[in-house]
Amino acid sequence: MNQFLRSLSPTQQVAALFLIVFGVLAIVSAAAFFLSFREKRNPVHDAAWQAELAHFRKLLGTSWFMALVFWIGWALGETVATVLFALISFFALREFITLSPTRRGDHRSLILAFFVVLPIQFWLVATARFDLFTVFIPVYVFLAIPVASALADDPSQFLERNAKLQWGIMVCVYGMSHVPALLLLSFPGYEGKSAFLVFFLVFVVQTSVLVQHLISRRMQREPFAPNVSRSFNWTSWAIGIAVASLVGALFSFITPFRFGQALAVSVIACISGSMGHLVMKALKRDRGIPNWGRKDAGVTGANGLLDRVDALCFAAPIFFHSIRWYFNA
Amino acid sequence: MLAKLTGWLLLGIVRLLTGAQARWYGCPPKAEQRIYFANHQSHADLVMIWAALPEELRSITRPIAARDYWANTPVKRWITTEVFNAVYVERQAATAPAAAPAVPPAATASVVAEPPQPAPATPSVAQPPAERIEPSMEPLLPLEPPAAPPETPPGAQGQLDLPEPPAPPPPPLPPPTPEPAPAPATAAPASDPLAPLVEALRSGDSIIIFPEGTRGHTGEPQKFKSGLYTLASMFPEVVLVPAWIDNVQRVMPKGEIVPVPILCSVTFGAPIRVEPGEERRPFLDRARAAVIALRDV
Repeated sequence: MNQFLRSLSPTQQVAALFLIVFGVLAIVSAAAFFLSFREKRNPVHDAAWQAELAHFRKLLGTSWFMALVFWIGWALGETVATVLFALISFFALREFITLSPTRRGDHRSLILAFFVVLPIQFWLVATARFDLFTVFIPVYVFLAIPVASALADDPSQFLERNAKLQWGIMVCVYGMSHVPALLLLSFPGYEGKSAFLVFFLVFVVQTSVLVQHLISRRMQREPFAPNVSRSFNWTSWAIGIAVASLVGALFSFITPFRFGQALAVSVIACISGSMGHLVMKALKRDRGIPNWGRKDAGVTGANGLLDRVDALCFAAPIFFHSIRWYFNA
Repeated sequence: MLAKLTGWLLLGIVRLLTGAQARWYGCPPKAEQRIYFANHQSHADLVMIWAALPEELRSITRPIAARDYWANTPVKRWITTEVFNAVYVERQAATAPAAAPAVPPAATASVVAEPPQPAPATPSVAQPPAERIEPSMEPLLPLEPPAAPPETPPGAQGQLDLPEPPAPPPPPLPPPTPEPAPAPATAAPASDPLAPLVEALRSGDSIIIFPEGTRGHTGEPQKFKSGLYTLASMFPEVVLVPAWIDNVQRVMPKGEIVPVPILCSVTFGAPIRVEPGEERRPFLDRARAAVIALRDV
């Protein structure tokens, strides 16, 4: 089996990976569908179980969506993938700004953020100008945004408004732009396979968030920071990290890392991702909302997208910069 | 063909920027003849509600557009007629010398849903700064104190819908201070301003109106003008659907030309109707309350 996989070309290997992912998703979805179908005709379980199943099917839907996005991104090449992530970043920032009150005077700064900063950042990624790409937002943009705001002649809550906007750019644009940047890292002997790296990161981070969520539900431990998150506690957090990192290490064969290295980078990505998820929960609590997006999921527009990608937004820059620093890629 | 393409393009842009989400509470999207009435905070309201309606309703629903804004350039005129299939209404401001300081109320006086009977250029509410103030989240800019409200000149009020005492005053506004009717109304509409709407309803179309008449400058809608009541009594079989348009004023504040992406939604509520024997003012206040109630749904 292993021999067979190694004999394939990189493209075939990636294709095989997607085939496996879609296959697993299809099997699980079919099972969930038949379960709920059977329940509808002949209910055996109680309402809580039904709700759990509905929740699970929603999670499955998200997984399908993500897998499809990655497949499209990979199938159409690196430039298209970058554009795709730019779109995700755009929608996430749109959600973030919608729920952060802005004032009239922020209009020009918002235009700057959406229509200048975001395209330039992703253009820098697509053209692999890594030295500029890492400093463009933290240096140039963070000093330029307050200038645009100051020129709007509105001093009230100035620091707060600028901080919100900068934070939104940091998470939604800067963080997200590091995911397609992984495609451009070059490891010796790993050419054409960097799509695996993106998959690896997303897979490991989502696994840690999912496992943490499930464990905290089962264990019903005392929440550590109940005002921010009613589910977060150190035990389930540690279990989530451990499980996801082990899974990441087992998947080391698709990465340029050895087993120990894969374990280490997985731990780094999981810690930053789960902590980022917690930070975004604090922001949501501050705004008094259960999730980003509108009050209820709609048919149009991307609702609650930021809930799905927030862990990734925190994990990607740290993952990217740590492996780039260590492996000199 | 070109209109259709432009429509799709515009729809795509609006969805990309705002999501244009329609939330149906209280009534389903249904192809019956309706009057949608909504709050008015931005010129883009028209586009928002147009984009939020489902495709099959969009073709039978005609928004109301103020001629002085939507028909002042050929492009806007083409878009409103060909793409939105809008009904133009005259605001008297279009012909009144809006800049003349002597008659500032004329700028906002008679608007979209003015009752058909207005005496020549009767200013309804003295709110000269209303159109200039930004509809946004900012605290209300100081209104210019109405300079020594003159006594209501008899007749100047005509049958306008203002004086009933029980009406809850629109919070942010100063009490209505009718100005003496400005000089002889060259702006007097020769015809009934409601006529185009009546015609559209007669032909079986649904319409979208903004009964505040003018764009509000705070989150709270202003008092409704009586055109809604007139139309509702003329067409009792047409369903009246309240709608709340949320967030649009943040997308494109006045004076800006580039819109900013912010999620907006249009919430449609349960239909209301004129109860037998219901007076105009109580009905209009009830309609306004129905719109405001949708804000927090």
